[in-house]
Amino acid sequence: MAYFDVPEIDYTRYSNRQLAAVPLAVLAVALLVLVGSFLVLGSPVPMGMDFAGGTELTVQTSTPQDDIAAAFDADADVRSTGTDNQYVVQFSDSDLESLRTQAESGLEQDGSTDIVQSASSMGATFGQQNQQTALFGLVVAFVGMSAIAFILFRTFVPSIAIVISAFSDLMIPLAFMRLTGIPLSLGTVAGLLMLIGYSVDSDILLNNHILRRGGDFYDSTHRAMRTGITMTVTSMAAMLVMGVAAFVLGIDLLASIGIILFVGLATDLMNTYMLNLSLLRWYKFEGVRS
Amino acid sequence: MNPIDGVKQNWRVLLLVVFLAFSVVALFVPGGIVADSSVANDSVESGPTNLEFGLDLEGGTRVRAPVTGMTAADIDAGVVSDNGQVDGDRIEEIESTLYTDLELDQADARVTVDDDDGSVSAEVFTDNVTKAEFAGALQSANVDVSEADIRDGVTEQTRTEIISTLRTKINEAGLSGGSVTEQTMQDTNYIVVEVPNMDAAELRKLLSERGVVEVVAYFPDENGNQTNETVLTQDMMASVDPPRQPQGPQGQSRGYVVPVQVKEGEPAEQFQRDMEQYGFLDEGYTPQGACNLPEENGSISFDHEGEQYCLLTIADEEVVDAHSMGGLADSMIAGTWVNDPRFQMGAPSQQEAQSLSVNLRAGSLRAPLDLSPESAQIDSITPTHADQFKQYSLLIGLLSVVTVSGVVYARYTDTRIALPMILTALSEVVILLGFAAMIRMPLNLSHVAGFIAVVGTGVDDLVIIADEVLDEGDVSSARVFQSRFRKAFWVIGAAAATTIIALSPLAVLSLGDLKGFAIITILGVLIGVLITRPAYGDILRRLLTDR
Repeated sequence: MAYFDVPEIDYTRYSNRQLAAVPLAVLAVALLVLVGSFLVLGSPVPMGMDFAGGTELTVQTSTPQDDIAAAFDADADVRSTGTDNQYVVQFSDSDLESLRTQAESGLEQDGSTDIVQSASSMGATFGQQNQQTALFGLVVAFVGMSAIAFILFRTFVPSIAIVISAFSDLMIPLAFMRLTGIPLSLGTVAGLLMLIGYSVDSDILLNNHILRRGGDFYDSTHRAMRTGITMTVTSMAAMLVMGVAAFVLGIDLLASIGIILFVGLATDLMNTYMLNLSLLRWYKFEGVRS
Repeated sequence: MNPIDGVKQNWRVLLLVVFLAFSVVALFVPGGIVADSSVANDSVESGPTNLEFGLDLEGGTRVRAPVTGMTAADIDAGVVSDNGQVDGDRIEEIESTLYTDLELDQADARVTVDDDDGSVSAEVFTDNVTKAEFAGALQSANVDVSEADIRDGVTEQTRTEIISTLRTKINEAGLSGGSVTEQTMQDTNYIVVEVPNMDAAELRKLLSERGVVEVVAYFPDENGNQTNETVLTQDMMASVDPPRQPQGPQGQSRGYVVPVQVKEGEPAEQFQRDMEQYGFLDEGYTPQGACNLPEENGSISFDHEGEQYCLLTIADEEVVDAHSMGGLADSMIAGTWVNDPRFQMGAPSQQEAQSLSVNLRAGSLRAPLDLSPESAQIDSITPTHADQFKQYSLLIGLLSVVTVSGVVYARYTDTRIALPMILTALSEVVILLGFAAMIRMPLNLSHVAGFIAVVGTGVDDLVIIADEVLDEGDVSSARVFQSRFRKAFWVIGAAAATTIIALSPLAVLSLGDLKGFAIITILGVLIGVLITRPAYGDILRRLLTDR
């Protein structure tokens, strides 16, 4: 027998209203967080360097971590990486040349390696354009995905169920980013776009089993769940390992893609098997057939 | 079973094997299958594979910056007549109004006519002029424009010139593997320069040099005051030789020179006429000692006494070197020079001479790049750090594969199902890597993320196939298998379509490094749906139906 088995949930014990209430409540909280921080702080999620402009230096130095910030005129945010004596230092200022000079004069050289291992800076205007481009990309991807859902199922309720749970799959990780302070970067945008593609898979699987196959509703549901949960858990495991390993090793891009996908896929489990399922059950048993 | 039936029944697996074989050749056989050797740079040291690595994994610097300047496009300036005739005098008239009204150098303003549609554009290449001033200057040249007609940025023609100049500059500087491209983001055009093995300061210097080189005559005018006149510009030169160090009479060095060939005919004659007019060829002065400017702190000082006849080498408005006519005067006086118009441009050091030679050959940058911290993006990474990223990416990739394998095995506990599943997912990555090596796509961290995503989606789809096929007990016949496999494939196709749709904006938009991630993921999904996943179905059928 398998080491892990997908549990069979007795859905008959819960009404559609009860089932949908949990994910909808979580979605409402997420939206509240996003709208609230937009009103109070000016942006729904914290903007990273890619979108707000700024500079990031990776330095190799024997200067203790606590003393690194003092080497710079500008406010510095210092984080250690997986390598000894290697730190990532971030600034909101984008004057790379002067920051590089300050690093080279203010920090102790560690052996014979260069002090500044990598440097990147993004102008504020550039960041602004990235922001708009990223938003445009997300909207196009979401609309495209919705169109595919409608083309595949050609009925309103099952299609809109996919769209709503995909929407929630995006909003909840965004709120998670705000609450944990993960800034929006190009990596997280890629994660969110992947999420649109990934999260819809389990919804399509569920809809397909319930609508396009014969047989008992709960039987179909259980079979779809067995496959779908295996899929999602496999991906979650891969993303968690990638996210944590990349975070420890100091590769931001991979870390943010991994973490965002992990959170998003966990959200997707809830949305698919509570929200989408309740909508489908209502459609199947009570909905007006067209 | 006869061979033809065997091929027929297993063609999906065979196709997978063929693709794998191609990929392995493309990856590991030196030389491999290379799409276009002209894009290759031969000097890059080869690793164990044919993969090319980008900035993140190889080290180097990338600068993305807009071009400084503004344009009044498609102006009605009376330059092009109805029959398509271009009025060159009128263009010069407008240009000279711009130079004087806006106090600009000749290099910082121009009027061009588009070759394709005959539209006329006026451009200035500086930040020191406002849109209102530019519009005003055009109006005083009788061009009907308002401030609203003027946009930031330069014409496509100017950008094309900049790109080709920068390409030549980078190649002339002896840097292989560099690339210069154009990128458009929300109506702003950026020039993207990527050079491996160069740090940010060096690349910045190379990009910020406008590279305007000219020779200026420095001489006393009729009142005895020393004056400057430009006598030789880049467009008067036919060819440029590499710098060399001439030997003096006793064999000692006299700095460096860049030998150039002046264009025969009018340019050469013009140069000689100028030298004559300014008194450089007058009798009674000694050619060798005519220029004797004092040097101060390594730069040339113009604080001198007596009359001086000098030829100054000027690069980006800075005096690089000053020297006298030397043997040039003799051949000019003898009248032989115009038939073989050679000229030696002086430079104090080899480095300066090299930079002069590069700038002369590449031509000057039509417009400067805006490298200010607000608008430019600069990334640089040392080769050691990049190497670290390479190892870490490999480690993260392996960890992800091990995790996925572990979960899949824990779920099925049947090696007959789990092992082919993992191998199939991995073969997707091998095929993708082979493809990347074949088209010489430089791999960055974003591609690594794409590869891991491909393993993830790949395994997901294989789970769907396996579950569907194993549903409701054993698979007894090939027919049952086929029908179940087809059902599974509907879901896989639908899922693939959504992933492709979701990532296609990234593949088209220029959003940093994410293009690579999107392209790899989309390709991976396509390879998966068309090749590897059907093959997995066949493998499973053979294992389960004993056929």
